[in-house]
Amino acid sequence: MDKVSIYNYDCILLDLGLPDGEGFELLKYLKSIHKNEGVLILSARNAIDDKVRGLNNGADDYLIKPFHLSELKARVESIYRRKTFNGDKVLNYDQITIDLVGREVTVNNKPIILTRKEYDLLMYFIANKGKRVSRNAIAEHLWGDEIDMADNFDFIYTHIKNLRKKIADMTDKDYIKSIYGVGYKFL
Amino acid sequence: MKLTAHYNKAGIITTISVLLIGGLIYYIAIGFIANKQLDRDLTEEIDEVNQYIDLHHQLPKQVDFDEDHTTFESIGTKVLPRRYFDTLFYDIGEKRAESGRAVEGSIRFNNGNYKVVISESKEATEYLIQLILTITVLLAIILLSILFLVNRFVLTGLWKPFYQLLTQLKSFDISDRSKLIVSQSEVDEFRELNSAIMNMTTKAKSDFQNIKSFTENASHEMMTPLTVVTSKLDTLIQDEDLNSEQLTQITNIYTYINKMSRLNQALLLLVKIDNNLIKDHEEIDLSEALNDKILQFQELLNGKNLSLTQNLEHRDISTSRYLIDILLNNLLSNAIRHNPAGGEIDIILTNGQLVIKNTGQPEALNSEAIFDRFHKGKQSEGTGMGLTLVKNICEYYDFDIRYEYIHERHCFIIQF
Repeated sequence: MDKVSIYNYDCILLDLGLPDGEGFELLKYLKSIHKNEGVLILSARNAIDDKVRGLNNGADDYLIKPFHLSELKARVESIYRRKTFNGDKVLNYDQITIDLVGREVTVNNKPIILTRKEYDLLMYFIANKGKRVSRNAIAEHLWGDEIDMADNFDFIYTHIKNLRKKIADMTDKDYIKSIYGVGYKFL
Repeated sequence: MKLTAHYNKAGIITTISVLLIGGLIYYIAIGFIANKQLDRDLTEEIDEVNQYIDLHHQLPKQVDFDEDHTTFESIGTKVLPRRYFDTLFYDIGEKRAESGRAVEGSIRFNNGNYKVVISESKEATEYLIQLILTITVLLAIILLSILFLVNRFVLTGLWKPFYQLLTQLKSFDISDRSKLIVSQSEVDEFRELNSAIMNMTTKAKSDFQNIKSFTENASHEMMTPLTVVTSKLDTLIQDEDLNSEQLTQITNIYTYINKMSRLNQALLLLVKIDNNLIKDHEEIDLSEALNDKILQFQELLNGKNLSLTQNLEHRDISTSRYLIDILLNNLLSNAIRHNPAGGEIDIILTNGQLVIKNTGQPEALNSEAIFDRFHKGKQSEGTGMGLTLVKNICEYYDFDIRYEYIHERHCFIIQF
C-alpha cells in the first residue's frame, strides 16, 4: 500500500490471493486516492461475481490463472495503450499500421480486411513480437474459456494461414515464422 | 400422521380397550353376584316350601306370582339332588318370556317324593347390566372427547416450540451465515433440543464455511503454481537451442496443464452447484442463448464439415446465465467432439424440452454411467466432468435430463 501511494506505475498487476488480505481492499484504496494506473487483476477464482466486482471497482481487466506469459503481455500492453495513447489511436509496427478505434489494418499503406479472430491474432502477435508463442497460448487466447477446444490446433493453423496470406499479399516480408513442434514467432 | 393424531389414536385404542375389558369384567362379576343372590333367594323359597309342608301337611298351591313360579311333580321314590340353572321365565303379567333362574330339588310328602322347581325372573339383573353398559359407553365418549380436547389444546401448545424448530430446520441453509432463531420453551426436553440443534447447526455452518474457503483456497493455491509452470515453459520455449522433439514435449505439458486447470475449475463448480451457491438467476431467452452458442461454435462446425439443423421455439427460463452457458457449451462441444467429419447435429427447442441429437459412434452409450464423474469414452480427450456438470446443473434447476439412442442419433433430452 505504501508503494502504490508513493510511486506512479504504468500498470499494476493485482493478485486477488495476496496473503495479507483481500485484493479488493487495495483496489478500493487505489481508486480512493485517485490513482490513474491501469489495474489488471490476476485471480484463480473463475467466479463471475468476483470478475464483475473487480471490474466495477475500477480494474481494467481480469485474468484467470493459470495464464500464459504471452497472454499477460498482450493484456498489459492493451491496458497500457488505453492509458497512455490518449490522442493517438494508431499503432505502428514495421510496415503494419493499425487504427485501434476503427480496427482497420493497413500494410504498406494498403488496407487489408481481417476477420475478428485474425485481428485479435495480429494484436496478440504484435504484443509478443520477437517471442515464441505456443499454440496452446494462442488457442486459449482466441477461444478463451468459452470453448474447451484448446487442444484442437487445426483452427489456429487455418487462422494463421489466412492472416499470413493477407499480410503477404501486400508485402514481401513474412512476419509469421512457424516454430516446429511448439508454435509461432512474429518478427 | 401428525403427532396429535398419534396421541388420539393411542388414546382411543387404550380407552376403548380398557372400557371394553372393564365392561366385560363388570358384566361377568355382576352376573355372578346376581346369580348367587338369586340362588340364595331360591334356597329360601325351597325352605319355605318345606316349612309349609311340615306345618300344613299338604303341598302349597302352584303359585304363579310375578316374581316366581313353583311347580310340583311326583317322582315316586327317587331323590333329586338340588341344582340351580338358567331357564326361561314366562312373565304372565307382561306375557313374554324373559331370562330367569331356577332351582330344582325333591321334597318328601305323604311317603312319596316330589320334584319341586322354583323359577324367578332375572329382569332386574338384566336391567342393571344394561345400565352399566350405558354408563360405560357414556364414560368412553366423555373420556375420548376430553382426550381429544387435551390433545388439541394442551399438546399443540406444548409442542409448539417443536414445530417452530421444525419450520426453521426445514428452511435451514448451510451456506446462509445467519444464525437459527429458536423460541425459548418451558419444557426441559425442548430446551435441550434447541440448544443441541443450535450447537449442531452452528458447527455445521462453520465447518461448511471452512470447507468452502478451504476448497477455494486449495484451488487458488493450485492455480498459482500452475501459472508459474506455464510461465516457466513460456520462457523455456524462447531458447533457440531446443530441438523440435523437446518443443513437442513442452506442447504436451501445456496441454496437460490446461486439462488440469479445467478439471480443477469443473470440480469447484460442481461443489458450488451442490451447495446451492449460485444464485444469480435471471430470465434467459433460451433460443437466443442457443443461437449465440451456435455462432460461437460456427468455426468448429465448419471445420469438421458438420451440418447443423435447428428448430428453436421461444422459451424463457429463469436460471443463472453462467450455468446455462456451461450447460450449452458442454452439450454442444460433446456433439461436435464425438461427431465424425461430415456428421449431423439437430437442435430442437420446444416449450417443454430441448433435444440435441448428433451422429457418432454407431452404438448406444451407457445412459446411466455417462453422467458419472470421470466417466468418459475411450477416445474422449475431455475431463470426464462435462456431462456430470450438465446433469448437476439440470438437477439444480429441477430439469430432467436423459440420454437416448434413437435412429442412429445420440440424443440428449432436457425437459423443463
